[in-house]
Amino acid sequence: MGSRYLLRRILQAMLTIAGIVVLNFILFRAMPGSPERMSHNPNQSAAARADLRARWGLDQPLFPDQFARYISTTLQGDLGQSYKYKGQDVTEVIANRVWPTIILFGLGELIAIAVGLVLGAYSGWKRGGVVDYAGNGASLILYSMPYFLLGMILLVIFATALGWFPTAGMFTLGETYSSFSDQLLDFAHHLVLPLAAVSLGLIGQYSILMRSSVIETRSEDYITTATAKGLSESRVLRGHAVPNALLPTVSLIGINLGFIIAGAITVEVVFSWPGLGTLTQEALEARDYPVLQAIFLILAVTVVFANLVADIVYGRLDPRVRT
Amino acid sequence: MTVATPHQRTLPKQADPNAPLLVVEDLKTYFTLESGTVKAVDGVSFRLDQGEALGIAGESGCGKTTTALSLLRLLPSNASIVGGSVKLMGIDLVPKSDNALRRYRWREISIVFQGAMNALNPVQRVRDQIAEPIEERMGVSASAARKRAGELLELVGIPKARGRGYPHELSGGMRQRAMIAMALACDPAIVIGDEPTTALDVMVQAQILQLLEDLRAKLGLSLILITHDLSVIAETCDRVMVMYAGRVAEEGPVSEVFARPRHPYTRALLAAYPNIHADRRTLEVIPGSPPDLRDPPPGCRFAPRCTFAMDVCSVEVPPDVTFGDVRVACHLFPAGGDGAATGGAAS
Amino acid sequence: MSASPVLLEPTGGRTRRWTTRAVGWRSFLSRLLHRPEGAIGVAIIVFFAVLALAPGIFVGPLETVTNSSGKRLEPPSLQHLLGTDNLGRDVLNLTVHGARISMLIGLLATVVTLVIGALLGIVSGFVGGRTDTVIMRITDFFLVLPTFVLALIIAPIVLDIIGTGEILGIRTTLFVIVIVIGITSWATTARIIRSQTMSVKERAFIDRARVIGSGPWRMMRVHILPNVTGLIVANAVLIFAGAILTETTLAFIGLGDPFAPSWGQILGASQDAGAPGLGAWWWYVSPGVCIVLVVLAFTLIGGALDDLLNPKARRRR
Repeated sequence: MGSRYLLRRILQAMLTIAGIVVLNFILFRAMPGSPERMSHNPNQSAAARADLRARWGLDQPLFPDQFARYISTTLQGDLGQSYKYKGQDVTEVIANRVWPTIILFGLGELIAIAVGLVLGAYSGWKRGGVVDYAGNGASLILYSMPYFLLGMILLVIFATALGWFPTAGMFTLGETYSSFSDQLLDFAHHLVLPLAAVSLGLIGQYSILMRSSVIETRSEDYITTATAKGLSESRVLRGHAVPNALLPTVSLIGINLGFIIAGAITVEVVFSWPGLGTLTQEALEARDYPVLQAIFLILAVTVVFANLVADIVYGRLDPRVRT
Repeated sequence: MTVATPHQRTLPKQADPNAPLLVVEDLKTYFTLESGTVKAVDGVSFRLDQGEALGIAGESGCGKTTTALSLLRLLPSNASIVGGSVKLMGIDLVPKSDNALRRYRWREISIVFQGAMNALNPVQRVRDQIAEPIEERMGVSASAARKRAGELLELVGIPKARGRGYPHELSGGMRQRAMIAMALACDPAIVIGDEPTTALDVMVQAQILQLLEDLRAKLGLSLILITHDLSVIAETCDRVMVMYAGRVAEEGPVSEVFARPRHPYTRALLAAYPNIHADRRTLEVIPGSPPDLRDPPPGCRFAPRCTFAMDVCSVEVPPDVTFGDVRVACHLFPAGGDGAATGGAAS
Repeated sequence: MSASPVLLEPTGGRTRRWTTRAVGWRSFLSRLLHRPEGAIGVAIIVFFAVLALAPGIFVGPLETVTNSSGKRLEPPSLQHLLGTDNLGRDVLNLTVHGARISMLIGLLATVVTLVIGALLGIVSGFVGGRTDTVIMRITDFFLVLPTFVLALIIAPIVLDIIGTGEILGIRTTLFVIVIVIGITSWATTARIIRSQTMSVKERAFIDRARVIGSGPWRMMRVHILPNVTGLIVANAVLIFAGAILTETTLAFIGLGDPFAPSWGQILGASQDAGAPGLGAWWWYVSPGVCIVLVVLAFTLIGGALDDLLNPKARRRR
């Protein structure tokens, strides 16, 4: 693949990350009320607080001193101490909550991509007929529904009313497990509903995207050529329509990652899933600014990386950009 | 697989070896739009014999492309053939199901589209696109198909190595050649060229036409060339069929029709073509524009623009009248006149 | 979404300009209503707009802790069509009043977004050159940023600085939410308006105006603006939907105002009280359905507008 394309994209990503770091600094150190907002930690001893002020240079002028210290301390992983979690290092607090989120959303994305793209391709190709209208209608409704609402509805039906699934958490409280597989099973049991909420919402979006992409692709001349070649309909769809329809869809999936964060946070809240989402809500409630700042930094950088990955994937799929 | 000559082609099972290659009779293809039904092709008949090159001429929207697409039923979902027959070697393709029709696509009739930038799959290698029908339709292994694709590329003058590239890496002329190579992949009886040279500059145009000529001679192909450019037809075709607003105005050998055009539309078309040798004069334009095919005028569809229109022209549809090899549909040439036999469509 | 439906060349004389525009809009509206998606969408929006304008007329004053009308967590019954919440308040009452808050915030946030986005888009597209590059860099940056998280963290900081109370008749929290949504959502609008501006800029009458000596601001206001209005309206529909979703989500996780509850705030309160686990579905399904309907309505209208403004896609439906 064209290395120039790759290099350009990586450079852009780095510039964006630089911008994020600067923005973070402005928000948390330069707004009125800072730096006290960041350093006034009720759960920290006076000595620890003084140490923080020194490390971050909070008594020094904003530019360039504080800014320089900010960059160096952030790169070293020093993101301060959490207010809520009794002065624990922010990095530690976050590290505890990252994996549940990755599992929930990683799986959710995978399922949604697999099911949503297939559904969208099929209904975009067939156009009309029960599957198309029903699927499209359902997708539209899912698309208009905040993910957490979907979660709440699933909860009340499948957990509260039917009792098939637990209503909260990642594991059953206070449970001891006799084997790893038991623990895994309990985990999976708790995972089903939040995963369903995330997947369904995303499936709604991706199938709509893929459907309109396939519809547009369908009217292209090369599809007529493929049909004229006497290829079977499924071959035309799989070999010609889908590879081309995937291109804009992949871009949009990448861009979309930034937007589903809202859904991510709220679904976790609904199911009390102990990930970054619930952490965000807790931090918001407690005005735990060090944690909030760190979450913003991490999420923003993750989105930039995700976009970069999507761009790379696009580059592999579309030979026209490989210059 | 060797390059086939007319004698070595295997005919489809239902083919009648004595029937003419292609006979289209009273073909009608209509489009259903929100605003009404467009009668794009409204009673077109013609015949193509083995080894012939037929040119279909006419301005944009006259139904030439729709006629060609109708032969293989490559129409969009809002169009359908509502009448007539398309007999390929005696087999009527119109009543066949989509699945049955597939057998004839590309293996008997193939098509080269205009503006080959869009007609080639942008994310598939050129060589693979040519090999695809060979592998899928002829039951050949992938590697043998690729080898054959390479041979076809060489046949049309593209170095085999370029086949590994993608369509956007080829020039316009090369893409058109690649499309021709692709059209030949399954050794068809008929190749339809839909404005194959329109998007190209004159020098490349000449090369493509020469290529088609050579291939016709070498492979014994029959051609249907659709274009609005009469000079292309004059150069390459044996017979010409002039269409207007979904109907046939005039049809016959190129030499006769161009030397002695009968239908006023044919005459106007030829007159509109600037003569590089003549004195400089203003371009002759046919006033007015083609009719709205959702509501075509009764009678002859050219009547509103015709300088020779008579009263009967806007009332009665002019019947097809044959004069030797030429067929005309114009009230100026009624049956019995012009010292020729009466009759209907060319048989 | 591409060209506006009608390209307006100012013909001079204020009355004539307005008439041309009014006629264009009326026929446009009727074309929109002729499509089923357009009609359904508009009907839903009108319904909620009416509710939002005067909720008191339909359900009386907003119920609070002190004047709650029922017992706690009652399921729907004849007296309380949508049941009650954990404070005994009638959910129908809350939902109708919530319509006012949600729609109002959505509307104001949309206005802020459009003003910022259109301004930057027109200036960027018209002036070009270095200004354009700078504005576009910033726009691209905002496009990549997870704006929801940004809104989430700016809001408490701003609230911290401003404090509570009322600004311009709206409660501070809501005011801050409006501003915060506005300053994080303008990027897509700016892009779209910019490309439209650039294509309008190429028209002949711009050069004519420049020759006469019109200043850039005048040209942007008088010549560019009327020709991007159609696009702004089409974009507004989708921005509105997004604004309502964003406000709902922000309120859900705690940035709502319990004294001026929007649908999102009601949902958040119900989640905090454990409504799904308790089976009190009526509490959150009611405002939830309203949100879905409104967003769906805007999406349908947006789709219909897209068809109308983009005749190329109309060819094969």
